[in-house]
Amino acid sequence: MRTDSPWDRWLPPAISLIAGAALWEYVGRQTSAAFLAPFSATVARLWALIASGEFVTALGQSLELFVTGLAIAIVVAVPLGLLLARVRVLRVATESYIMMLYATPMAALAPFILSMMGFGFTPKVVVVFLFAVFPVLYNTIEGARSVRPELVEVARSFRSTESALWRDVMIPHTLPYALTGIRQGIGRGLVGMVVAEFFLSASGIGRLIIVAERDFDTAGVLAAIIVISVLGAALMGLGRAVENRYAAWRGLAR
Amino acid sequence: MNVAATTLTAARPRLRLPGGDLGIKVAAGLIFAALWQVLVGAFAPAYVAKPIGIVEAIPAVVTSAAFLEAAWSTLWAVARGLAVAIVVGTVIGLAMGRLRTVDRAFGFYVSGLYAMPMVAVLPLVTLWFGYTDGARMATIVFAAVLSIALNVADGAHSVPPEHVEVARSYRARWYHIWFGVTLPAAVPYLLAGIRLAAGRALIAAIVSEFFISLSGLGFYILFNSRTFHHDAAFVAVLLLALFGIGIEIVLTWTTRRFMPWYRREDRA
Repeated sequence: MRTDSPWDRWLPPAISLIAGAALWEYVGRQTSAAFLAPFSATVARLWALIASGEFVTALGQSLELFVTGLAIAIVVAVPLGLLLARVRVLRVATESYIMMLYATPMAALAPFILSMMGFGFTPKVVVVFLFAVFPVLYNTIEGARSVRPELVEVARSFRSTESALWRDVMIPHTLPYALTGIRQGIGRGLVGMVVAEFFLSASGIGRLIIVAERDFDTAGVLAAIIVISVLGAALMGLGRAVENRYAAWRGLAR
Repeated sequence: MNVAATTLTAARPRLRLPGGDLGIKVAAGLIFAALWQVLVGAFAPAYVAKPIGIVEAIPAVVTSAAFLEAAWSTLWAVARGLAVAIVVGTVIGLAMGRLRTVDRAFGFYVSGLYAMPMVAVLPLVTLWFGYTDGARMATIVFAAVLSIALNVADGAHSVPPEHVEVARSYRARWYHIWFGVTLPAAVPYLLAGIRLAAGRALIAAIVSEFFISLSGLGFYILFNSRTFHHDAAFVAVLLLALFGIGIEIVLTWTTRRFMPWYRREDRA
């Protein structure tokens, strides 16, 4: 193994970023602006969006939608997952169905939600919720199920109360899995957010993309896509950081 | 050690044939369906899908030419897109896993794009490919390729260095090391990547059909739900769910059957 000098670590990404931007600029200049706007035009467009305040409004709308949907998903799924893990009959009864829903592409339900609930904020939250809830639920159940029965039995033998059992055994053991589920839920919830903003009622960053696309304003589309990828990377990074911070004892921190 | 190892295993789909618990599961399913039927019947408009209506709609829908054409169009596109993504993603992943410079230079792009919700590029793709089948294909490949590349790269990183050293000592060429040593070791990771990719590819196909009004299951659902044929539309959702579950089952079974030692956390 070679040792990592800072040069080794940062030089290749820096060069590849600059090369990528240069290539983008070159291809953008060679082709029509409606096909691919050059890098400089995209950055200028992004700057204009920020300066006009449009960007902050859009980001605010998108985040409001995303955070509301994800928060409801977590608040519903984590306690439900723990409950299902503790009560065997309920778990056996529901786990196959939850697994099926976990594997179902939730995007297929968006048209139903649109035609039943219309264009408001609530149906969009429902879409984000549906995208995000099953990974959280699924992983929480898996985690709670992985609590070793011996631990529960020992706790019982020492006359642990149900609340102490939850506090000291069930929840600490399940938390890392729930956090993995939340990280997956963040990823899926972002997709749900974009789907909702594209197909239910245009709002937020999704609206920026659609409006720019209708005008053949490639620079605008690319600027919004850059924003959304930075947002995605930041939220995934946050999820991973929380997971590593609170799940370190699982020994699988990555 | 053994016990510790089991507790450290993270969530992964467990598909067991329901044995003695089958009764409970069936009963629960019937209770869900009954609740759905009663609650929707009582509180929602009449056109909203209800279990009895869906079951009644199944025979007519699955024999209708429109549905079969839509199903074929979507599932075939997903299969082709996945095939392309598996080949391209495996090569990218092996390169990232074997060559440190490639990893440093492109890892940033791959993981950055991976975190981005792929449906966001759809408008851009339609500007490039027009409102065509090609746009759907590009979206599917884009959605699927990165999870495969990342997982294969993980797998390639995890190859024990001794294996590579031994291969080198026997004068193996680089392509022997890539495809003879690294790739086989990365197969379980590849399968995990395919499982994630398949889900993403399905979503990409459906969403791009919504967006570009291309014939397929996504558009079938959109059209029928707009014209208030919710029962028929829901049959398409069931088929999509079956497809998703089918992929899970096949991949889980393959992993169990051929790589029973292998347990690993999914990459989100």
